[in-house]
Amino acid sequence: MQSKLSDIELIEQTLAGNQQAYADLVKRHQRFVFTLAMRFAKGREDAEEIAQDCFIKAYRSLASFQGQSKFSTWLYSIVYTTAMTFLRKKRVDTDSIDDENTFIQVESQVSSYDINNAENKSRSFYLTQAIAQLLPDDAAIITMFYKGEQSLEEIGHALGMEANTVKVKLFRARQRLKEKLERNLKHEAKELI
Amino acid sequence: MNTIEETLWNYIDGNCTADEQKAISALIARDEVYRLKYNELLKLNNEFSAMELDEPSMAFTYNVIEGIRAEYAQKPLKATINKRIIMGITIFFVLTLIVLLAFTLSNIQLPATSIPANVISSVKIPDFGKYVTKPVIEGFVFFDVLLALFLFDTFLRRKNFQREV
Repeated sequence: MQSKLSDIELIEQTLAGNQQAYADLVKRHQRFVFTLAMRFAKGREDAEEIAQDCFIKAYRSLASFQGQSKFSTWLYSIVYTTAMTFLRKKRVDTDSIDDENTFIQVESQVSSYDINNAENKSRSFYLTQAIAQLLPDDAAIITMFYKGEQSLEEIGHALGMEANTVKVKLFRARQRLKEKLERNLKHEAKELI
Repeated sequence: MNTIEETLWNYIDGNCTADEQKAISALIARDEVYRLKYNELLKLNNEFSAMELDEPSMAFTYNVIEGIRAEYAQKPLKATINKRIIMGITIFFVLTLIVLLAFTLSNIQLPATSIPANVISSVKIPDFGKYVTKPVIEGFVFFDVLLALFLFDTFLRRKNFQREV
C-alpha cells in the first residue's frame, strides 16, 4: 500500500532518518522514472540501473532540495543528467546518440518484435513501438508532458531549457511520433494483406 | 508563422489566450480543414495521454534502499580511519599530558631527609613552574582553538564534498 503523505512530508520524514518514508517515495515515482530511463537506455537492465542510480543520487542530495519546484521536477532533472552521462559512456560502442542511423537498428528490432502476437497489436503497442523509435530527447519530452504531469516550464527546468524551446521540441516530437505511428500501422496493414 | 497544426496543438494544450481560443473555436466550427485536423490531433492527444508506463522489476525499491544502506554503512568506517582526525586527537592528548606532567613535576617538593644528600645534590629537578606562565597558557589555548577550527573545517569540507557528489 502506498503512503498518502505528500512528497514534501515524506522528504521531511526521510531527512529525520526514516528510511521507510524514502522507500514510499521511491515506490510512488519508480514507474515514471523507469519509463523515462527506458527512453534513453532502450533496454530494461540499463534503464533499471539508471533509475536506481537516480534514486540513490536523489537520496544523497535530498537535504539540498529546497521545495521551490515539485519533487518530481527535481527528480526528473536528475534522471536526465544521469541518463545523459550513461549515454555518453555508451558512446564508446556507438557512433553518435543524435544520429538517426543509430536508431534504425532499434527500429528494425522493434518492427520484427513479436509481430505475430495478435494480442500485442493494439494501438497502445504501436504507440510504445513508435516512441522507442524516437530520439531520446523527443521521447523524454513527450513522456514528461503526457505522463509526468509537468508543464512546459517544469520540463524546461528539468532539462535545462527555456519553456519556448520545450514547446518547439514538443511540437516536432509529436510530429515525428505521428509519422512513425502512421508508418508502422501502414507497414502492419501491408503485412496483413 | 504558425501552421494549422501548431495553432491547433496550442489550442489543445491550452497554451492560447482567451481571445485566441475563441478565434480558433470559431475556425474549427466553420472551417472543414481545421475541423478535420482538430479531430485528428485530438485523437492523437488522447492516445498519447493513455500511453502506458513501464514497470520496473519487483525488487526495484528493495535494491534502491539496499544500495543506500550499503553506501551509508561505509561512512562510519571511513570516519574512523580518517588519519587527520586521529592525528589531531593524538596531538591534543600528547600536548595535554606533557603540560600536565610538567606542571606536576614543577610542583613536587621532595622531603630532604628520606633521600641521601648526595642524591639530592646530583638530581636537579627543573623549575617548570616558571615555564607555566600566562603567555604559555594563552599559547596552549590558542593552539587548541586552532586545532578545533581545523577539525571543524575538515568536517565542513567533507560535508560539502558529499553534497557535490
